[in-house]
Formats: sequence, structure tokens, C-alpha cells
Amino acid sequence: MKQSGKLLSFLGIAVLTLSISILLILMVGSNVNQAFFSFLSGIFGSFYSVSEVMVKATPLILTGLGVAVGSRSGFINIGAEGQLYMGAIAVTGIAFWLHDLPAIVMIPLVILGGFVFGGVWSVIPGFLKARFGISEVITTLMFNYIALGIVGILVRTWLKDPSSSLPMSAFLPDAATLPIILSSTRLHAGLLVALISVVIIWLLVWKTPAGYEMRAVGLNPRACMCSGISVYKNILRSSLISGGLAGIAGVCEVTGLHHKLLEGISPGYGYIAIIVALLGKNHPVGVVISALGIAALQVGSLGMQRMAGVPTSISSIIMGVVVLLILARKSIFRRLLTDE
Amino acid sequence: MDSGFIALVTIYLIDSVRMATPLILAGLGEAVSEKAGILNIGVEAIMLSGAFFSFIVSFFTGNLYLGLLAGIAGGIFVSMIHGVLSIHCKANQTIAGLALNFMVMGLTSFLFLIVFGQTTTLPSCSVFSEVKIPLLWHIPIIGPALFNQNLFVYIALISIVLTAFFFYKTEWGVNLHAVGEHPQAANSAGLNVFAIRYFACFVNGVLGGLGGASITLGQLGFFMENVTSGRGYIALVAVILGRRNPIGILAAAMVIGFSQALQYNFQTLGFPIPTQVFSMFPYVVAVIVLFLSIGKSIDPSALGVPFERNKR
Amino acid sequence: MALLSMKNINKSFFGKMANNQVCFDLEPGEIHALLGENGAGKTTLMNILYGIYSRDSGDILWKGQEVSFTSPRDAIAFHIGMVHQHFMLVPTLTVSQNITLGLKEKGYPFPDRKALNATITEVSKKYGLQIDVDAYISSLSVGEQQRVEIIKLLYRDAELLILDEPTAMLTPQETEYFFEVLRKLRADGHSVIIITHRIPEVMSITDRVTVLRDGYNVVTAKTSDINEQELSQYMIGRQLHSIQREPIVPDAGREGLVLKDVSLQENGIERLDSLSLQIAPGEIVGVAGVDGNGQKELVEVILGIRKQSRGKIRLDGVDISSMNVLEHKKLGIGYISDDRQQDGLVMDMNLTDNMLLKTHTDHRFIKHGLINSRLVWEDTQKAVEDYAIKTPGLNTPLRNLSGGNQQKLILAREMAGDPKAIVAHQPTRGLDIGATEFVQQQLLQRRANGCCILLISADLEEVLLLSDRIVVIYKGRFMGIFPNSKELNLSHIGLMMAGRTSEVGGESL
Repeated sequence: MKQSGKLLSFLGIAVLTLSISILLILMVGSNVNQAFFSFLSGIFGSFYSVSEVMVKATPLILTGLGVAVGSRSGFINIGAEGQLYMGAIAVTGIAFWLHDLPAIVMIPLVILGGFVFGGVWSVIPGFLKARFGISEVITTLMFNYIALGIVGILVRTWLKDPSSSLPMSAFLPDAATLPIILSSTRLHAGLLVALISVVIIWLLVWKTPAGYEMRAVGLNPRACMCSGISVYKNILRSSLISGGLAGIAGVCEVTGLHHKLLEGISPGYGYIAIIVALLGKNHPVGVVISALGIAALQVGSLGMQRMAGVPTSISSIIMGVVVLLILARKSIFRRLLTDE
Repeated sequence: MDSGFIALVTIYLIDSVRMATPLILAGLGEAVSEKAGILNIGVEAIMLSGAFFSFIVSFFTGNLYLGLLAGIAGGIFVSMIHGVLSIHCKANQTIAGLALNFMVMGLTSFLFLIVFGQTTTLPSCSVFSEVKIPLLWHIPIIGPALFNQNLFVYIALISIVLTAFFFYKTEWGVNLHAVGEHPQAANSAGLNVFAIRYFACFVNGVLGGLGGASITLGQLGFFMENVTSGRGYIALVAVILGRRNPIGILAAAMVIGFSQALQYNFQTLGFPIPTQVFSMFPYVVAVIVLFLSIGKSIDPSALGVPFERNKR
Repeated sequence: MALLSMKNINKSFFGKMANNQVCFDLEPGEIHALLGENGAGKTTLMNILYGIYSRDSGDILWKGQEVSFTSPRDAIAFHIGMVHQHFMLVPTLTVSQNITLGLKEKGYPFPDRKALNATITEVSKKYGLQIDVDAYISSLSVGEQQRVEIIKLLYRDAELLILDEPTAMLTPQETEYFFEVLRKLRADGHSVIIITHRIPEVMSITDRVTVLRDGYNVVTAKTSDINEQELSQYMIGRQLHSIQREPIVPDAGREGLVLKDVSLQENGIERLDSLSLQIAPGEIVGVAGVDGNGQKELVEVILGIRKQSRGKIRLDGVDISSMNVLEHKKLGIGYISDDRQQDGLVMDMNLTDNMLLKTHTDHRFIKHGLINSRLVWEDTQKAVEDYAIKTPGLNTPLRNLSGGNQQKLILAREMAGDPKAIVAHQPTRGLDIGATEFVQQQLLQRRANGCCILLISADLEEVLLLSDRIVVIYKGRFMGIFPNSKELNLSHIGLMMAGRTSEVGGESL
């Protein structure tokens, strides 16, 4: 009885979401059928559009994974955006500094660098939480803005491309480029990095003693304390990995897509990642699925705008609405879910 | 003293006050909410909603005051959603706030496009003009800064006084404090914890909506996508820097306003210092303040924790 | 006419009778003690009166009128007030603000603090409750906070004050001071009910005493008509249980678990006071005492969860005084906590994951850096079989298991690998008869295998059943150590548990 009630409530959320979408489409004055058709064809209509979904999913998988790992250990990472940018700074700095390295060395090196930079950016709030109990929600949020500020300064000063008047770096050396894995698309090897990370994280968090500790600390720190598991060490560990993954996302975006450092690398991936992790129930497979789903939502809404005149902001609305409905699920569907 | 210098200081002060006003309003609202134990990351959404609705109504009615009321309504709309989720649904307040930010960002942009379509020139409305307070505005330096400003500035300044009075001189303020610190004790003393928290969310909406309206109707005279551009988050910083104290928030908002005024003026002056230094400034200061306050617990003990009445 | 009359009160929780046909009367202007051990039903009875619990059946008459309170606010309206063990005070507000919290005083919402302070000071002076009305609660000692709670009730014109274990956190001086306050209250016509387990205090301050045991009212008497021995007899009231235990085979090679002058000071209060004890291998030492006399602190210090302020702890000759929890566990100490849901288990994890709380760093279960799930699974399966844990599967979250089966998992985990010592704190709390017997059997098994066992239980019967020696703890001190033999004088034990040192018998400490 309880299981079917739960299923029905999620179905109810889907129905409500769909109804709201229809309402919004009608408000624009577009034809509902045409809108949905253009949404779907925007995703599946061509080889290229499907590849675009995966391009957009790549950073979401990585940052979503990072947020998920943090959440599993009780570390609420709002700072994936800033950590992503720190990763981007890392790859730019390393690539220009060691510009003669061959790709085979450069790529792993910059990924490592991005992990370190992103990890450090996250472990500082982690330390503040573990040692002093300062809420990581506020600190990671503020570190986002500091990171963005640093990027802004760098692309106007030390890393600025002298041949351009715009605030961005020069093109990165060829060695620091992730190859395109699907010709005539933008789909780059970052997707492979993301998927490999998914496997590694799954192994780490569910199959190793360290991962076990992180999960246990997130569920019952007191019992861990009584069993000799160090809560302090594990908060540091999880915040480091969380930020490191977001840093890798920044590396992939720069080396795979933009090939230079600029301010608009991320249209809020770090924040969307929080939704990705929530919808994916903080599990690696769930993260991949929800990342693909949200990427599809965004690509589809581009199609809806092109062919049916529905503004792309509808995707933000839908994302927000879905999360709000999930948060309110137990209250809205109370009668379906009470047992006895 | 060099009169040129005085003029410079005066200009910066005027600009700082103007920049600080949205932060003061939104910050005060958030402070009330946090005092009651509700952490609202969605201040950005409240402000954006206030900005949007105040603009739309002003534009179509030509009446700025109606627009102001609409801005307040817009703010309340968002804050009460957050309230229901936090208090009734006992949801994670951080995620609720973030989701609201996404939704309202999309919604305001969406509605704007529906109403105005794709335009090259931004539709604009008039702006509240400055009102000189007789006599007081003649005071050197602070006169023009505090007494020759638009309505929103005056509302903000009065709100500071009212909020401080409310917090520290009334029994209502004590009740609010109790609810945020030790809701069980408040409950056993006969206070209605839920009602007080909903009230706090309401005030958060009113002041946050005013904060948003002050951007469109007080400064810009137009609305565009993401017109608040992070000011809601900066308001959160002001609340932390100001330790949830109205006077502290005023000080923090002034400091931030000053750095924004510097940023603006440096840009026009063409100095080589990137403006990002100034935009980062409030956040760096906030982190330092957090470091310095280590050991002293400054958060209400029940902040972010849903209240469950103990039943048997 | 009795001021308060509770007749035939019945209340059960989950099938267990907490109050069984309890009758309780209170005369006006008296100080009346509700005496009993843990679980006797004292707090339950008062919570029923105060509107926190609802009774199953029975009547309550206040000043001759039938009443039925559904919340504390109702009771306060009838001038009945209760001070609980956990104070309801907002730390960041002043004394004055806490006292008037929720009341719409004159001038609301702009209270005239000066006038209110004057009234409060008047009330406090009247009963000798010295307090600084402008002080913040966080700066007050426990004794001072208690005074604030009492003033809160008097400010609301309480005629009857119910105090739950009021001296639990007080120093002797504060206790004396507190008694003076009670005498003044009585002189002024107030009535007081004290919930307590401390016999000396009952003797010094009360007019009448009612003893509850296992949910029954055993006796009500004038304090002047009864003595301490009789009270402790009523309180404990058990037949001596003897169990045939094999005599201990002394293991000359092992020292066992040794505590030497262990003290713990926290917030200026001495929680453990120079405790010394030696548990030999194959011996069960039972710690008898009412909950809240230092047991939790003792347990956590031995396990390394808390660090003692002074003193040494050794396990088989190894000094473990400054080691952390993990090192303690690796050396072979098993821990059965009194709060299994908070301390011992991760409720949202399944059985295998909860077993891992102990074994996740064990090299036998790790292959190439990864946890060997097959071995873990087999290990858990064996535990389920050996300990007869009833579960739908190994993947079930612990939340879905009954209390008894949860405890069995903890036992399986902590007793695996033949630990050298086991600390068992209330190991059978909340368990049914079957599970209780099982746990007790397991402890005896370990004892036969040469394990040093420290058993702490508020259930004196259990302590008597299992222990080779019994030590009584009261206010963080060991009151006496006795071999558990037929000659054991139960009423002496009862007295010590309630605070009286005995000059007769026992080993020197």
C-alpha cells in the first residue's frame, strides 16, 4: 500500500509539472502540440541535437557528482560554481605555464590540477565546518563570488589575451585540448572523463572503507564517533572530493569546449548541480540520469523557442517547480502516503 | 578643508546610500526571518519578484505608488511559498530557497517576454524622484546623502529604526528571538511558534519586495532579465556582516554600497584596477568576519531547523 | 480535604503498564516526595497530571474539582506548575525576559521592564531565590537556572510546584540552599511534589513520601513515621535471585580492565570522582545505581569517547588512558551503548553496513583497497544465524527491525572476535523477555570465555542476576563494592544507590 502510494505521488508531481508547462505555453500564445513537438524534436530531431544534450550533460554530471558526494557526508556544497571556475583557472594557468608538454602528459596533469584547485576551494569551507562548526551553506556560497571575482581579475590582467580587447585569455595550447569524440558535433572527451569519474566515485563511495566512513558520517555522526570513525577527517575528505569533481568540470569545459578562460564558462552549472544531485538522490547513476534529463530539458526548450516561440526561461521555471513539488510532496499527497 | 574633497566625499556618500538601499531593505527582511529561525537563501527571488511586479504595474498604470504596492505583493508571494515549505512541509530550507531562485528567475524573464515581446529598446517607466527634506538636507556632507534621496531610501532608513525598536524594545521582538533560539521553550511558554514564523516570512517578503522595487522604481526605471544580479545574495552577506542587527546591517550595507560606488566611478574614470576587486570585496570581508567570530556562536540555535511540537 | 487527588490512574506505553491503578494524594501545604527507581512511573504520573500525557483511565481531582489537562498551559491556568529536568529557558534572553515570556503584561507590547523586574525581585526575595534579573541565562549556573524556573512558576501564581529530580545537577551547597527555598514555600502555603530517587533528601525535607515501584504505589507514609531502610526496601523490594555461575578461573596471564583514580570534570562539576576498579578476566562487575549518577560518563571514558581529567585506565597491562576510540576498539573493547539508535547503529543503513561499523578497517575484509562484499555478507549472515536475528533480509534498513533484533546485531558485532573487555550499558533496555534473556546469556557466555565485563544497569535485578561483584555508583562515586553472594544485604545496596554510605561490609575502596 505504501509503495504504490509513493509511486502515485511521483506520478502526481509529473502530472502537475506537465500541467504547469501547458499553462505556460498557452500564456505565450503558442500551440501546445507544436510546442511539445518542437521540444522533442529539439532533443531527438537530429544527431547534432542529441550530441548537444550530452555536451551540456557533461559538466552537470561532474558537478552533480560532486554535490552528491558532499551531501552523502552531510556537506551541503553550494559552491560548485566557484569550484568549477577554480578548476578552469587551474587548467589555464598550467597550460600556459607548461605549454610545451605533450597532450598525453598535459591532459592528466590539468585534470589533476583542476581537482586540486577545486578541492582546495571546497576544503576551506569544509575545514571551517569540521573544526568550528561554521555553516558550509554560507561559506561555499560566498566563495563562489570570490572565485568569479578572481576569474574576472585574471582575464583582465595576468591571463588576458593581449591580442584581444575582450576580457578573456588567449587560446590554450593545442596540447590542452580534449578531442572531439563525435565528428561534426561539439561532443568532446569530457563526457568520457565524466563517465569515468562516475565509475570511480561509485567504487570509492560504495566499495571502499573511506567511502563507507563518509556515508556513515553523513547519516549518524554520533554513532561514528562511538565507533572510532573520525567525523572531522571525513568532512574534510568529502568536501575535498566534492570540490575536486567540480574543478574537473571546469577543466573539461575549458579544454573541451571553450579552449580559453572567460567569464561565461558556466551558466550556473554549479547551482543546477544541486538540483541534479537532489533529483538523482545523491547516487552516481541517478546523477547521470538527472543530468541528462536536465540537459535535455535545456536543449529541448531551445527547440521550443526556435520553432514554437516559447521562451527558454521555461526550463528554469520547470526546474524550480519540480524541486518545490518534490519538497512539498509529502504534504500535497498526504492522504496517499499515510499508512494505517 | 578642501571644498573639492568635500564634494567628492559627498558624492560618494550619496551614491553609497543609494546603492545600499536595496541591500538594507532585503537585509532587514532576511534578518527578521533568520531571527525566527528560517534561513531564506531565496532572497534573490523575493527581490526579483518585487522588481518585476513593481515595474509591470507602474508601466501599465503610470502610477508609481501602485507599482510599489505591487512590488510588496510580489515579494510576499515568494516569501510565503518559502514559508509554507519551511514551516508546514518542514523541507530543507536551503534547497527551497535555491529552487525558488530558479523558478522566479525563469518566471520573471518569461512573463517579461510575454508582455513586451522581443524589443531592442527596453520599456521604461518613470522613477521616484528625489524629495528634499526641508532644512535637514542643507547639512554639509550627510545632508544630501540622507535627506535628498528618493522614497525608498527614506523607507529603508525608517525601517532600520523600526526594526531595531521591534527587536530590542518590544515584547514581540523577544518572542521572535525566543522562537528562533529555543522554540520548545517558546512553545511551552504559550507562544504560537508557527504563527510567529509565518509572520517573519511575511515581513521578509514585504521588505525584500521593497528592496527589489527600489532597484526598478528607485534607480533604473526599467526591468530586464536578472535585474537584481546577485543583490539578494549580497543582502545575505550584509546580514552576516551585520550580525542580524539592524544597525550592523546598515553599516555593512553602507560598506558594500561604498565599494559598489567605487566600482561604478572607477569604471568611468578608467582606472586599471579591475572592478572585480570591488565586487569581490564584500564577500572577502564576510569570510574574514566569519573567521573572526569563531567560537562565538552568532546564529540562532534553531536556525534552519523545522519545529516539531513534542507530542506523546 | 486533599488538595490533589489522583485515583486509580492507569497508563500504558506499547503494552507495558507505566502506571497501574496508582492512587496519589497531596495535602495542602506539604512537601511530598515521589520516590522510586528508574521506570517506577513517577515522571509518568506527574506528566499525566500536567497534561503532557493523557491517562488511560482514572480520575484527577484538584481542590475537589474534576480536572483533565491537555497541555501544560491548562495546568498553569489552574495554578499547577512543573519544572522538568531539561529546563525550558532561552539562553540568550535575560532572566526577566524568560520569566515573562508568553505573558501579556501591562503595557504589552512595550513592557515596562523596570516595573516587571521589581515584581520579579519581590517574588524572588520572598522565597530566598537570589537572582540577577538582568543576567543572561547562558551565564547562570544550573542551580541559578533552576531558581529561574521556580520563579517562573511562582510569578504565575502556582500553588502546587512539581519538581522533577531537582537536585540531580546541584552541588551539596546548592542543595541546602534549595531546601531552604522549599521550606519558605511551604511556610507560605505552597505545596511541593518532588520526584526523586534520593532517600537522604526525602528524609531531610519532606513531610510525606509515596514510593512507586514498577508502576504501582507501594506505600504512602509520613516521613517521620518511616526510616531509610524501610524506604529502600520498598523502593527495591526484590527477592534475592541467585544464579548458578561457575566460579571464575583466574587467568594469571592477564591483568584485565583496570581503572585507577579516574576522575572527570566538566563545566566545573565533578562527574566522576576518583574511581578505581579492577575487573578480572572472566568476571562480570555490575554497576548498580539510578540513571544519571555518572554511568554514561564512566562508560564513555573507558571507551575513549570522552577523555578523563585525571587517572589511568589499563587493559591487560596496556595503558589506554590517552588512546582514541579506534585504538580502544582495536585492542579489544566491545561497547553496548544505552542508546542504540544514537550511539550504536546507523538506522538508515542495512545489516551488513552496520556490521561494518566495526569491521570496515579490518584487513580481512578488504581486498585491493575495496571492501570485500562477499566476505562481509557471509560474516553478517553468520551473525544473523548465530544470534537468531529476525530480519527479512541482510539488506533491510535497521530502522525496520525490532528493538530486540537491533540490539542482537550490536551484540553480534561487538562480541565478534573475542574481545578482551565488554562495556554493556543498559543492554536489555526496551527489550522483551526473550531478547533480554538472550542478551544475558550472551554476556555469561563471554564471561566463560575470559572476557572482562562491566555491566551497568538501572535494573538492580539484572545486576544481581549476572554479576560476580557489585559496585554501587552515586553522584560519580563508587559507594561500595561487594561480592555477589547470598549474604548480600539488599537494603544496604538500596541505601547506597540512594545516597547513603554504609559502614557495614564491603571492600575498602
